Amino acid sequence: MEYAIELKGITKSFGPVAANKNINLSLAKGEILALLGENGSGKTTLMNMLSGIYMPDSGSIFIDGKKVEINSPEDSGKLGIGMVHQHFKLVERFTALENIRIGIRNEGRFLHGADVRKKIEDTAAKFGFDIDLDKVVANMAVSEKQTLEILKVLCYGAKIIILDEPTAVLTVQEIERLFAVLRKMKEEGHSIIIITHKLNEVMAISDRVAVLRHGEYIDTVVTKETNEKTLTELMVGRKIELNIERPVMDKTHPLLEIRDLTVKNDEGAIAVDHINFYIRGGEMLGVAGIAGSGQKELCEAIAGLRKIEEGQMIHEGESIVGMSPKKILEHGISMSFIPEDRLGMGLAPSMSITDNMILKNYNESKGIFVDRKTARIEAQKVIDRLEVVTPSTETPVRRLSGGNVQKVLLGREIKSGPNVLITAYPVRGLDINSSYTIYNILNEQKKKGVGILFVGEDLDVMLALCDKIMVICHGRLQGVVNSDHTTKEDIGLMMTGTVNIVNKEGKTDGIAKDSAITDEEGKA
Amino acid sequence: MRKYHLVRRADARLKRTLIYYAIGILVSLIIGAIILVALGINPLDYYGRMFTIGLVGNRYGYKSIEGLLKIFVPLLITSLALSLSFKMRFWNIGGEGEFLIGAIAASIVAFNSTGMPNFVTVLLMCLAAMISSGIIGIAVAALKVKFNTNETLMTLMINYIMLYVIRYIGETKADWNFFLRDDSERPKFGTFPDSAVMAGIPIGQFKLLWSVLIALALTAIVFVYLKYTKQGYEISVVGDSSATAKYAGMSVGKIVLRTMFISSAMIGLAAALAVSSAGTISDTITNNVGWTGIIVAWLSKLSVPAVFVTSVLISILQYGCQAAATQYPAIDSNYADLLQGIILFSVLVADFAANFKIVRKEDAKNA
Amino acid sequence: MKKLISMVVAAALAVTSVFALAGCSSANGGNGGGSKASFKVGAIYINSQNDTSGYTYAHHKGVTEGMKKVGLDPAKDLFIVDNVPEDDEKVKQAIDQLAGNGCNIIFGISFGYINAFEEKAKEYPDIIFSHATGYLSNDKNFNNYFGRIYQARYLAGIAAGYKSLALGNNNIGYVSAWGTEYAETCSGINAFAMGCMAVNPDAKVSVYEISTWGDQQLERQAAETLIDTYGCCVIAQHCDSSQPQIVANEKGVFGCGYNSDMTTEAPAAHLTAPIWNWDVYYATAMKAAMEDPANFMTKVGIYYEGLNAGLVDISPLSSNCEPETKEAVELAKNLMKNGEWDVFSGVKLSFSGSAGSVAVEKTNAALVTNDGAEIVAAGGPSVEDGVITGSMNYYVEGVTQVN
Repeated sequence: MEYAIELKGITKSFGPVAANKNINLSLAKGEILALLGENGSGKTTLMNMLSGIYMPDSGSIFIDGKKVEINSPEDSGKLGIGMVHQHFKLVERFTALENIRIGIRNEGRFLHGADVRKKIEDTAAKFGFDIDLDKVVANMAVSEKQTLEILKVLCYGAKIIILDEPTAVLTVQEIERLFAVLRKMKEEGHSIIIITHKLNEVMAISDRVAVLRHGEYIDTVVTKETNEKTLTELMVGRKIELNIERPVMDKTHPLLEIRDLTVKNDEGAIAVDHINFYIRGGEMLGVAGIAGSGQKELCEAIAGLRKIEEGQMIHEGESIVGMSPKKILEHGISMSFIPEDRLGMGLAPSMSITDNMILKNYNESKGIFVDRKTARIEAQKVIDRLEVVTPSTETPVRRLSGGNVQKVLLGREIKSGPNVLITAYPVRGLDINSSYTIYNILNEQKKKGVGILFVGEDLDVMLALCDKIMVICHGRLQGVVNSDHTTKEDIGLMMTGTVNIVNKEGKTDGIAKDSAITDEEGKA
Repeated sequence: MRKYHLVRRADARLKRTLIYYAIGILVSLIIGAIILVALGINPLDYYGRMFTIGLVGNRYGYKSIEGLLKIFVPLLITSLALSLSFKMRFWNIGGEGEFLIGAIAASIVAFNSTGMPNFVTVLLMCLAAMISSGIIGIAVAALKVKFNTNETLMTLMINYIMLYVIRYIGETKADWNFFLRDDSERPKFGTFPDSAVMAGIPIGQFKLLWSVLIALALTAIVFVYLKYTKQGYEISVVGDSSATAKYAGMSVGKIVLRTMFISSAMIGLAAALAVSSAGTISDTITNNVGWTGIIVAWLSKLSVPAVFVTSVLISILQYGCQAAATQYPAIDSNYADLLQGIILFSVLVADFAANFKIVRKEDAKNA
Repeated sequence: MKKLISMVVAAALAVTSVFALAGCSSANGGNGGGSKASFKVGAIYINSQNDTSGYTYAHHKGVTEGMKKVGLDPAKDLFIVDNVPEDDEKVKQAIDQLAGNGCNIIFGISFGYINAFEEKAKEYPDIIFSHATGYLSNDKNFNNYFGRIYQARYLAGIAAGYKSLALGNNNIGYVSAWGTEYAETCSGINAFAMGCMAVNPDAKVSVYEISTWGDQQLERQAAETLIDTYGCCVIAQHCDSSQPQIVANEKGVFGCGYNSDMTTEAPAAHLTAPIWNWDVYYATAMKAAMEDPANFMTKVGIYYEGLNAGLVDISPLSSNCEPETKEAVELAKNLMKNGEWDVFSGVKLSFSGSAGSVAVEKTNAALVTNDGAEIVAAGGPSVEDGVITGSMNYYVEGVTQVN
């Protein structure tokens, strides 16, 4: 069998951390290979060596049977390798056409006019892409940008296409469309590597699956001869319980009620558009939506970090509109938001666990000095209770692994004993084990009667974990569904705005207003 | 084909860093020695005089120490002040300008202080300098907070504006210009009345100026402020991640304004102490502390004790280079500057080497 | 980590203090006094002693040559602090350094050193302080020194005047660091213009002020403007570099340099340059300070000499000069050397006759400024030296500033 790519004994270290250890991998011509592994298992590092971003410390790379040296993305491109990164590399102010044109090489610097457009249009037609070449990237939806990225590498003549977690930002329907394109590409003789950690997708699209674990190559299996359970075991190294626990609690009265909430984003556009919902104690309400549908603005509005345009926010019978973030926190609403870089918000990465522990209440101690003695005790408590792996309480948060960082963040948030916990993407970037720890922490809070708003990405997880799921699209409420009576596909349709189950009064099934408070009272 | 590449060291050990620094300094001294030998000068002799800041065989050695301290005090305070704003990731490179504002304000008090008690005058000079420099600091911070202007550009421009202001004052003969000597036909900065000249504690012939004690006290205060107080904690958080600070409910704008005021006011204080110690003002009164302070702050990784040590060492280097150059007619200050430059550069290279290593890419052993 | 840092600090302080003590004790022990063997000279320069032209270069040359004249070795007995700006604090530190090294006389070459010299002269009564271009002194150990460079400029003006006569072009240009703000530049311009007019009564001197003592770019631009816009046929200068002469050379006109013979830089243009022979003063001052420092102020005092002492002169006339120049210059030089006549007086010189028979004639005529004010009445005595060095702030008739 002739291989498009063969990797032999690839090793790459960052300082003392070996990201890849002696990896052997092969990609046959015209196949789709899924590269499976938990976060931090070295998938992206390995692929970045193929695209010329990193260079291996040792080992060799063969393309079409020939040993090659890839020292730059340019080398990689010349060898016919094209990578679609998780974070798109597009010029926001350019049109699709211009974005493709600026990267065309070997055919003169400035290519204008019809031939380039013709070439791109032909390629798009060949693979069944639906794209407007004159649209400016800034105005594109995420899926359009991704299409453009793929089209771009195809136009540059890539025969080997690497996709780094392409489905993370897509809806179910969009994923289907992507897969159709990938199959088309395969038919045309392209070889594809797709990085993902979603097992269902692996099963759906790939011919073979290569599994990495902790930077080591484990095995390559033929997709047809395996199943999700086996793959999971390969990936995490032992049998694990796939079921997420969902304790059922006696629900109390609504703790937090949001009425007609409208919030603008940083650019001044409406991000949250007349949203109504409430959270009861002992309940976990999931928030589903495509990235950038107003989740961040909603969280920030409730936490008092963002001015609201309209609407009411009532917590235990008292309006919290206009309160300072500190006041809202004292009121019992705690918010944690894990941004894409995981450290940007909520934690000060260079500072110690102790210092991060008191971030929200350092001002409560008397005098001009920070009370680190108490903070250290609290930090130790969180470390013990949540089993945070760290050398000491004085270790900078930046040095901890992803799961431990998020444990520290959640630990701080629940430390103050809130009765409403808003958490956005708490398992973002975590491996399965760490994710379960986080789910357990949340469930424990739920059992204590805390109302939880869970903004998440993975619909499977949300269906398993949350009692109800609220779906938003472009800041508008599409409906609230009970997890037991819905499917991923239904939610996917609501996320794209295809289905809307909100009735005319702005109420949805399963959502009621807290009758104890009138609108007039709420406004006060 | 690239055979070698750079890898960040996982563990930054202080011992290794210091050893690398020592090697770096040694290499730079050897380069300097080659030049000295080429000029027919014994390098050991020269370096001996340099590192003893020319004290050996000096009739007025105590004056050399006084001179060294006069370089050291403004550098120390300015470096501390800059560390404060850098810690907040506020790139205040306007140390020169802020220093000059303070120097001018203090001089306005000084030139009009004839007959006032010394203590009161010096106190007023310090206050005037701190307030005027602090206001400029606040103004730049406010522009940043309000309109998100680029503080690097703003503070940089202040340096040039103030340099031209003081040159204008120094070169303009006019009735209003009390900065200048009355009896000189040419414009020439005057000397402060005795009331405005920094006093000190006499130790034999040596006079330990109050400014030295103030600087030492200030070092301790800044250390405690950054490490133990709530405001210091806020600075760290804002510097580490201003988004986090906002999420924690901190008023980031207020913290930025406050810190920049303190930082600029400290530079103003350094200026007041400097003009009072000098007993006059000039357009070179800053002695480039606004720039050198940036180097000190970064070499020290913004740590207060390290800022202190680095300031001492750089002051000795500066003063020593000049003192040694004086004793050799063939050596001019350009050589002294060159040597200082090579040493600082070597230390930066050593710092880099202490944090990164070069790794040879091993060819794959075909398996 | 903290331990290491504190150790470093402690070590640094310990080393410094040990040497400080050593320094103090040796200072108490070994005060040699003013014997010739241990006579040490200190100098504070505005630029570097390693300059190859310009103001500091001229002084450094003077200091070293002066030292050789009185039997001192510049390699051993000379201490220099260079690149010292006109900043009292830095000058004071420089003086402390030189005093600490045991210098017996300290020269400061820039005007702005004046405050520090005045103050430190009181602090170190055993050291003689000598300050160029200043106006302060005391009666014990602090003098100032300068020279009648205007006399040399008058002679250069004669050379320029003959050139303009020969070319039939009355426009003469002058690139100057400053204009009427400084008496030094102002008196130089006036003397030069009067030299020109002594030969060519219709000569007009156009002054271009560049507002800095030295900036090669500006000096160049100024010369270009004077030649291209004002049609000047001779370019004189009072600034640091030879750029004005180089421009004159490029554009095919003539010029008078300053400080050194610039014929090498502008072989086809240069006529002659007013020059300083600083070694004349430095040798005098050092000799007096070595032999009888207590009476320095009576023996040397405030030093202000000219052609008579040889402190100022002009560089050898180049072959570009008109044939009459040499005789006229000699005549004027002798009059000034003998003290029979001086530039800023109520008597004017005029030259006539061709080469071989040049004659000078004295006529009584008032010294009048270019806006008509009479400074010295016809036949009156020369203005006081204090005016020439300190307060002259007018141009004489025939001079205009163009910028």
